[in-house]
Amino acid sequence: MTQVAPRRLDTFTLASEPGNERLALARVAGTVKDLGLSDARLERLKTAVAEATMNAIEHGNGNRPEIPVEVEVTQDGDEIIVAISDQGGETDLDTSAHETPDLVKKLGGDQSPRGWGLFLIRNMVDAMDVTTDGQRHTIWLTMRTGGAAHDEHM
Amino acid sequence: MMSTCEATTRSLPGAAVIELSGEVDGTAAAVLTEAYERAVTASPENHDTVVLDFAAVDYINSTGIALIVSVLARARAERRKVVASGLSPHYREIFDITRLSDFIELFPDLDRAVSQFTHPAA
Repeated sequence: MTQVAPRRLDTFTLASEPGNERLALARVAGTVKDLGLSDARLERLKTAVAEATMNAIEHGNGNRPEIPVEVEVTQDGDEIIVAISDQGGETDLDTSAHETPDLVKKLGGDQSPRGWGLFLIRNMVDAMDVTTDGQRHTIWLTMRTGGAAHDEHM
Repeated sequence: MMSTCEATTRSLPGAAVIELSGEVDGTAAAVLTEAYERAVTASPENHDTVVLDFAAVDYINSTGIALIVSVLARARAERRKVVASGLSPHYREIFDITRLSDFIELFPDLDRAVSQFTHPAA
């Protein structure tokens, strides 16, 4: 079987300003729109990209506009991979101790109402990985273009 | 950052309706809180149900989910039921994943929510 090399579809940077996650979402959606994702899975990828970019802007780069968030979109076989990088080094978002959001606790005041971002990302994509190289911190979002099994509960 | 979220409120016999439009994100906190207060104080004895209509909402993020959790917590503390209408299939899925739909009954549209929870004026 012939192996096809991964293909970089797009790469861009964003200033670390709140709200710019919408730019990332729109641009990634435009890049992958013809790659065979169902509407439902495209919506999930958009949410994951927005949440990961928000984390990069806020937690990674501290809302400092001069530090860019870098976004790269790659296609590798039937996988779409979106890499979102900031300069935050290893963050507490990466630790397994990061508290899983529990709505009952939140409603009872035992947990902050916030803290849904990482949870949403994990539930939206087929795979999520995090790497840190010095200060460069990258979240990798993988979505398969088939992936019918993931639509079963819709 | 300016909020792009807008809210209009309506008082019906038995339910307070909050119709949201735009983006429900962190910048929507004041809009949502003020809308809730406006809606339930208009005729508090009548408002045991609060309907949140999302039909004109095009974006909800994790901080928006947190705001909805806060509204739900407050409503429950005040013994009010919260229902939602007009969510897209994607945001219905997010309400399921977060378990919000365990506490907020979902309706396809505002008419169906209103007909379920309002009653004719005495």
